[in-house]
Amino acid sequence: MRNDLSTRRADEGLSQGELADAVDVTRQTINAIERDRYDPSLELAFELAAYFDCHIEDIFDPSLD
Amino acid sequence: MIGVGILGLLVGMVIDRYLAGTVVYLLGAWIGGGIAFAAPRVSDSRLQDERDYELHNRASGLAMGITMALGIGIVPPLYVLDAGGYVELTGAAGGGILVASALFLLYGFCFGLVQRGA
Repeated sequence: MRNDLSTRRADEGLSQGELADAVDVTRQTINAIERDRYDPSLELAFELAAYFDCHIEDIFDPSLD
Repeated sequence: MIGVGILGLLVGMVIDRYLAGTVVYLLGAWIGGGIAFAAPRVSDSRLQDERDYELHNRASGLAMGITMALGIGIVPPLYVLDAGGYVELTGAAGGGILVASALFLLYGFCFGLVQRGA
């Protein structure tokens, strides 16, 4: 599942570690999501969407897999 | 620490100091295990999350798959060939098969335990 998490994170001026702390996961998880190597749980997807104040599908796009 | 313990055990065997090697191993294993157990509880930083749990889950499934494939594909014919006198199962091979079987059963037991609690 493709996503634009790295772009959104960069726009906010956040490091992977800072975003990881904000949504309570490890930096490695954020890195894996950004590299399309890990699809987050629904709970984490909601956390990320809430953090960026958008909908889940604004960040993640399953049709681009 | 566990690596140091293993190294101590090997060195102890090489220099014929089995007891000292065992003591070093036990110290390393228990201290290292204690640190591994306690670190997530005393550290503020997150050391594991859902991705790690998924990796554990996949690794566990892979390990069980390999064990099952070997168990079904290789072990029964080995016993048959051993009984027929074509090959000879050594004690070490038999021990390995028993250990693998025990681990497989232990996994099944743990799986059932977790499943009941889920």
